[in-house]
Amino acid sequence: MKKILVLALISGMLYSCSEDENLSPSVNAPETYTFERNSSSTVAFNGQTNRIMMAKELVGGMLDFAMTKEQLLEMYRNETASGGDAAPFENSDLNSATQSIKSKVAASSDYFSTNTTESSEVKADFESWINAQIDEVFPNQNKVAAPGIAGQIADGSSTRYVNKLGLEYNQAVAKSLIGALMADQMLNNYLSSSVLDANNNQQENDDKITVDGKSYTYMEHYWDEAYGYLYGTATDKENPNPTVGSDDDFLNKYLGRVDGDEDFSGIADDLFNALKLGRAAIVENGYSLRDEQVKIIREKVSQVIAVRAVYYLQQGKAALPDDRNNEAAYGSTFHALSEGYGFIYSLRFTRMPDSDQPYFTKSEVDTMLSKLMGDGANGLWDIEESTLDSISEEIAAKFDFTVAEAGS
Amino acid sequence: MSKYYLSIKAFRFIWSWAMIIFMVACSTENEPMTDTDNFDRQVMLVNWADNIIIPGYENYVGKVTDMVNAKNVFLEDRSTENFDGLKNAWLEAYIAWQSVSMFEIGKAEELSIRDYTNVYPTDNAGIEDNVNSESYDLNLPSLRDQQGFPALDYLLYGSAENSSMILARFEAEENLRNYLNDLITRLSDLSTAVLQDWEGGYRDEFINNDGSTASSSVNKLVNDYLFYYEKALRAGKIGIPAGVFSNTPLSNRVEAFYKQDVSKTLFMTSLNASIDFFNGRYFNGNGQGESLKSYLDFLNSVTDGSNLSDLINDQFTSTKVQAESLGEDFYAEVENNNDNMLQTYDELQTNTILLKVDMFQALNIQVDYVDADGD
Repeated sequence: MKKILVLALISGMLYSCSEDENLSPSVNAPETYTFERNSSSTVAFNGQTNRIMMAKELVGGMLDFAMTKEQLLEMYRNETASGGDAAPFENSDLNSATQSIKSKVAASSDYFSTNTTESSEVKADFESWINAQIDEVFPNQNKVAAPGIAGQIADGSSTRYVNKLGLEYNQAVAKSLIGALMADQMLNNYLSSSVLDANNNQQENDDKITVDGKSYTYMEHYWDEAYGYLYGTATDKENPNPTVGSDDDFLNKYLGRVDGDEDFSGIADDLFNALKLGRAAIVENGYSLRDEQVKIIREKVSQVIAVRAVYYLQQGKAALPDDRNNEAAYGSTFHALSEGYGFIYSLRFTRMPDSDQPYFTKSEVDTMLSKLMGDGANGLWDIEESTLDSISEEIAAKFDFTVAEAGS
Repeated sequence: MSKYYLSIKAFRFIWSWAMIIFMVACSTENEPMTDTDNFDRQVMLVNWADNIIIPGYENYVGKVTDMVNAKNVFLEDRSTENFDGLKNAWLEAYIAWQSVSMFEIGKAEELSIRDYTNVYPTDNAGIEDNVNSESYDLNLPSLRDQQGFPALDYLLYGSAENSSMILARFEAEENLRNYLNDLITRLSDLSTAVLQDWEGGYRDEFINNDGSTASSSVNKLVNDYLFYYEKALRAGKIGIPAGVFSNTPLSNRVEAFYKQDVSKTLFMTSLNASIDFFNGRYFNGNGQGESLKSYLDFLNSVTDGSNLSDLINDQFTSTKVQAESLGEDFYAEVENNNDNMLQTYDELQTNTILLKVDMFQALNIQVDYVDADGD
């Protein structure tokens, strides 16, 4: 133990001195996310890959007008209403999988293990959006949207389907899952000491005692599960950044988008390197180096969500029609603000690096969402530029970026 | 390690000096613009409205009316001759459209006329569903790719194996005739609404909104012009089918995919209209009035030591020279000689930069549209 402390101290010192170098002498991160024991890989995150693919089918299903409420809810739960086995997915591997989206929504150890009240509220939010899509939007598939009337509206060459307030429920679900499922599980569950160091995990990892029938220790595996929520559907799962942004429609996609903004370029490498180095540190029993990486990952993933929230609010503002009476011209604004809605919802699942708290509490997030939808009786049809700016400023103020940097 | 670090520092040092020198160099070359210049924007707006836009729309509406008449004659008597008459009228109207598509302002903007007139590739399966179900609302955004000239292209040239079989379908299927009728009626309604608005009072509103704010007529129409040039002309007609934005060429994305041998005619009309608008050339006759060219010349705009309007016109000329080498049928061109398409794209792209960066900067106009996220 003493030895570890000394090593950690030295590595910490070296780390803080060398700006341009992530490696310390004691822990060498491999070039790619490749870890082996006795020549077999110790990396596994099938469950995360499955959940990302389930989320993709659910979100796609919300715009398939042949879908029923029952089918969509079965995709969300991967079981029937009565808890029986369901086969809602087109991809049959997902039907036989044991995972579901719902069981991991707002389900992190740190935030929700003693807060099942809020957890069940969040889970129910997703069900209410799914239900409302079927009840409010589907019947108006072939109506033109107008203030107070759900229907379709043009957004460039795309056609969007909004509720009577201009909100796309499918976007609310998709972008809120980035926080409530991906970020929450990653930042507040699998990277948490309460999970990584649970039970006897640290001692077993020191002694390299692997999970029964597996090649990895519990700690290694939990770390990989965090990695899987970001890179679970990557083209090359060991070296995922060459295709970052095009490997899913969730956290990976928006990491790619933020990385593509010159104000934030390099964030994808920072995240990948931190995940890789932290995993290498676990192999070498370097827990303080591991925890340094956790902080980096929490900060950067939270930043991705916040940047995109501000980005979409600003895009929605830029797209507002010159003629506010021209109802056909609101489509681009609605689409951007519907994405923004989900990213704001996701802020509650972010994690400040030196704290056990999110950047925004649930009540702060609820207030921002009420402001977004509350400029008039018709929600986003009535949105004012000043509201979009004030929410943007409120978000950016907690982070190390400006509204202008995030907004373009 | 330390050596490496120093070299980064040295590099940063040199780089920051390079940036400063670069910025100084730039600021001396391009004199900072004041908010207003003395150019009479209203004279230019009058030229645009009276000599280019309204005559262009009059011509277009006239051609659409001819198409309505040809359709009525055909529906009355579905002879081969009348079918050919309708097809010719369709082509004439489609060509006329190319000269007004860029003016998406006023009523045209409110109606999103381009999106309901010329979205391709057309959704032929959706069209057949509509014909079968007889239940469709052409006002819906989701039906934009099931109407307009591309949908007519499908009905007239692609809805069966050959021309006589298509004619036989029209003979046999009342639903198909109704759909044809509805599509042409809608084109007529849309075009007439826009022309009537110009003739009814919008012309005065347009020329009197002669300031230099983002919502002024000049700023808006110049943005519409550039948007058209970039998205509809450069990307839509050439870049997308040539595969510039995809992994492989997409020959089925050409304009007039079913008729095929008119894609060059449509493109050249559109390109010439863009050039004429830049130079303020009248739609009818050989007259010429105040224009983006004369505005740039008035401001004495210079890029890299050359007159900017000359650079733009020279580039238009080389685009035309390159485009002339294309075959009449862009589908065949993409399939057999795609390099030629790509070279045309490159010529168009070169002017995108001169127009969007240099011209906008010289005129002190901000780009008011964003490149869609695509999600």
